[in-house]
This record gives sequence, structure tokens and C-alpha cells, in this order.
Amino acid sequence: MTAALIEARSLSARYGPSPALDGLDASIPAGDVVAVLGENGSGKSTLLKVLARVLAPSGGEILFDGRPLSDFPRRATARRIAYVPQSVDLVFPIRCLDLVLQGRAPYGNGFVAESPEDRDRAREAMRACDVEALADRDAKALSGGERRRVFLARALAQEAEVWLLDEPTAGLDPRHRLEFLETLWRVHRERRTTVLVVTHEIGLAVALASSVLLLKAGRAIARGARADVLTAENLGRAFGTPFERRGTGFGVRSEVLPAGSSEL
Amino acid sequence: MKALGRGPALAAGALLLAAVLAAAFSVGGVHLSLFDLVRGDGEAGQTARMLAALRLPRVLLAALVGACLALAGAALQALLKNPLADPFLLGTSGGAAVGAAGAALLGASPLASPAFAFAGATAASLGVAALARRGGRLDLERLLLAGLIANAFFSALLLAAFSLASGEASRTMLFWMMGSLSDATPGKVAALSPYVLAGLVVLLGAAARLNLFAVGEESAAALGVDTERTKRVVFLAASLLTGAAVAFAGVIGFVGLLVPHGVRAVAGNDQRALLPLSALAGAALLVAADAVSRAALAPAELPIGAITAALGAPLFAWLLLRTP
Repeated sequence: MTAALIEARSLSARYGPSPALDGLDASIPAGDVVAVLGENGSGKSTLLKVLARVLAPSGGEILFDGRPLSDFPRRATARRIAYVPQSVDLVFPIRCLDLVLQGRAPYGNGFVAESPEDRDRAREAMRACDVEALADRDAKALSGGERRRVFLARALAQEAEVWLLDEPTAGLDPRHRLEFLETLWRVHRERRTTVLVVTHEIGLAVALASSVLLLKAGRAIARGARADVLTAENLGRAFGTPFERRGTGFGVRSEVLPAGSSEL
Repeated sequence: MKALGRGPALAAGALLLAAVLAAAFSVGGVHLSLFDLVRGDGEAGQTARMLAALRLPRVLLAALVGACLALAGAALQALLKNPLADPFLLGTSGGAAVGAAGAALLGASPLASPAFAFAGATAASLGVAALARRGGRLDLERLLLAGLIANAFFSALLLAAFSLASGEASRTMLFWMMGSLSDATPGKVAALSPYVLAGLVVLLGAAARLNLFAVGEESAAALGVDTERTKRVVFLAASLLTGAAVAFAGVIGFVGLLVPHGVRAVAGNDQRALLPLSALAGAALLVAADAVSRAALAPAELPIGAITAALGAPLFAWLLLRTP
């Protein structure tokens, strides 16, 4: 077993008075694709925000590469950990290329990133995510699937070794969902990034993840290899509804898993 | 989306401002010939110089006040990711007016009024932001409603002060409420200049960080920006600029809303260009509006705020219709 790249120890976080993470323990090995699974309000997105340093923890600690995450300067963290938020509401026009160039900001002097090298990296990332043709388009005018891929390209341009993806396929139709996951899988394999994907879709965890972190009420109730965590008993506890094994996937009774979701 | 580079765009903006300044300088109750002023011989030259000495401070004050308000509006729009942000609509100007009027009522020196206006503007910004905050984030609808509440409250305070004051003091109150450039003096121009410069320098320093706010505060934080610090710096700079403008010219609305929109449509949303261009365009707009206010009904004057509101209110309505 490889040493953990990220380790959370009794991690807590809160929005106002209500706790969102409540003593969470987790350990993420380098190079893994980890599905962070749990019902609404179980603390999944909060965990990503704390790891991305968007939200400060209220207790516990995070070790990154063996050192407390808070010891790293913010910009140094941003060079190693990329965060792709769930949905982004763009108000003002912004060219897709400029959006992807934002991924270079942690490297630039005073957050300005427009050197030829930055542009090359951004173009390269857009090519890898099949969005190079959109470079001069306004990101506001893109479809949901295109926009997710542009944001994935931004994370790629950031050259971080960890990607934190919050519900990356929410709201995508089956074709765009599959296209996005194929792109994600390909760039993950090429770059050997560690990926944390927050989702409440069990099918997505089955399709994509090598290990699973199962959350309930701000704590990890099970973690480890996918096959060990995704048992009917664990899922029943996490989601508060009975599950049964059916073929290779899991389904709530009466729910039908989309065909092919277990093999990507 | 971006027609010009940053350098040429700034040069074009500066040229526009120079042209507007020259035109506004000659327009007014009495026409001032720039030719007579430069040639300067005989009676015509003397008259021209006298007029120039009266008019120059006013034109320059209009330019500085316009630059302050447009800069504050542009920075707030970028920070809050909200096209409706404006120091007037968010209650910052009202807070500044109450601060300055309070100082005048207490008999403080006119030179201290920017400090009081700044305090009022900062208090208003903080209060409106606190009202609009929900679940840790600033909500767009709540922000505008909070601005409305703040403006209603500040109007009440100003009206009360107006009815309590008498004679000269009540005229002063009216000045804060309506906004006016008619009391311009070289001293005021000199006193306002450092505020504009300081605000511009601070905001230009934050411009690259503000660009990352275009995708949202969380996104900027995840890219390594200390967002709390950036918010504090930009809010303070916007309050300082608004406070300074209001202290010397009263409440003039909509400049901070109007100008960044026009500039954005022409030059894109890169704050490193948008902020300085907004300063130039805001100066040009207010100088032009002031020239219209002096010339339209000469020798009577239209209130400057009436002209900016006549331009700004339709834009505001249009933005409201477009915002989902």
C-alpha cells in the first residue's frame, strides 16, 4: 500500500452554527480515483472545499504530503490541488481561453498569467479536453457539457497532482456524461493525478472509482477499496434506504441503473 | 470580444477625455474661446482668463468625481460578480452623504468632511454586506434590497437633518442630497486628487485578483487568492473613492453603474483595462453631463444628478430585464 497523499484527521467544518463535517477521518493514496459518496447534506462538498482551502476547517487537521496543509502558502497549494466547483454562474463575458488561463494564475507574478508558456499550457489542456475549438467563444454561451470540459481543462492547465471535482456530471444528459467521463479517465491515466469525485450517484462511483469514501452526517462510515465499501449494508446505512445487489451494480429497489454504467 | 490592446485602448480613452475636457471648458452660460485664452491679448484675452479661472476648477472637479464613482462601481461589480453593483444603489453614497452632512452639522472643518464621508461610506458598505449575507455568501437579490433599505434610511436621516438645519446649513444639506459641482474651488480639486490616485493605485494592484473573482469567490480562493483580504481591500478602496467624491460633490447617482457597462461592452472584462478605462470614461461622462447642466437652461442650472439619473435609470431598467 502506498503512503497517503492526503490524510484527514478528525476533520470538522461548519457553515454558521450547523456542522457540515464532524470528525471525519480519511486517507487518500496518490494516484487513486476516489468517489466521495453520500446522501445530500452528508458533507461531501464541504470536504472538497476544505481540501481546496476555500473553507477553513473548524477542527482537526489535514496532512498533505506529510505536512499540515495550512503550512503551505495558498498559492503553493493551488499549484498542487485543483478544484472544479459544482456549478458556476458566469455573469460577465469571458473567453474560454482566458478561463483556462486562470489555471495558470497560481504560477504567474501577481496572479497574471499570459506568458507564451502559459498560453501553450492552456492550449494543450484545451486540446486534451476536446475544447480547443471553443477557445475564442464566450464561456457564458456554452452548453453544460462543454462548460464542464472547459473547467476540466482549467484544472489540467493548473498542472496540479490532485483534482477535486464536485458533482462533475450533474445535469448532463447520458451522451455528454459519457463524453465527460471518458475525457476525465483519459487525462487521469495520462497524468496519473489523484482524483476525488463527489457524487451521490452510486453508478458513477462504480464506473469510475478505485476506492470509495462513504459519508454520513459529516463522518466517514466506510472507506477503502470499491468492492469492500460498496456493500448493500454500507449503502443502506449511508442512504437510509434498502439496497440490493443486482448484477455488477447496486440499485435501490425499483431503481434501474443505466445500461453500461459499470463499464466505462 | 476585445477589439483593442490595453495600451491603445487607454490612449484612446485619454484622448476622449481630453476632447471632452476642452469642449466642456468652452461651453457654459458664456462661451469661452480657447483661441482667445491661448492668444491672450487685449480685452478678449482678459475675459477669457477670468472665465477660465472660474471654470477650470469646476471642470476638473467633475472629472475627478466622475473618475472616483466609475472606479468604485467597476471594482464593486467585479468583486461582487454583479452588474447591478454601484455605490449609489448599494447605499455607499448615501452613507457618505450622512457622514459628511453630520460633520457639517457638528461644525467640523470642510477639510475634514472626506474623512467623515469615508467613515459613513464604510459603515454603509459593511451594513449592506451584512444584511445581504446568507449562508456565508452575498446574495444578489438581497444585496439590492439591502441597498434599497440603506438608501431609504439615509434619506430619512438627511431629510431630518435638512428640516432641523436653518439658513446656510439647510443649503448645505440640500447640496449633499442633490449633488452639485457648483462650489468647485482649486482647493477642493487639490484635496480630491490624492484620493483618486490612491484608489486607482490600490485597485490596479488588485485587478489581476479581481479577474479571478469573475468565476466566483470560491474559485478565486482555490486558485490561491486570499479572498478575504482582497474583499477588504477593494471594499475599503471603493468606500474611500465614494466618500471622497460625495464629500466634494454630494450624491451623484448612476455614474458607477453606467460607465463600467459601456467600457465592458467596448473593451471586455479584463479588470486591468476595465478599471483605468472606467476612470477615464467616468471623468469624461461627468464633465460632459456637467457641461449640459450648465448650458442647457443657462443662466439657470440643471442639477447634475438629474442628468446622470436620466441616463442611468433606463440602463438600470434594461439590466433588470436582462438579469434572470
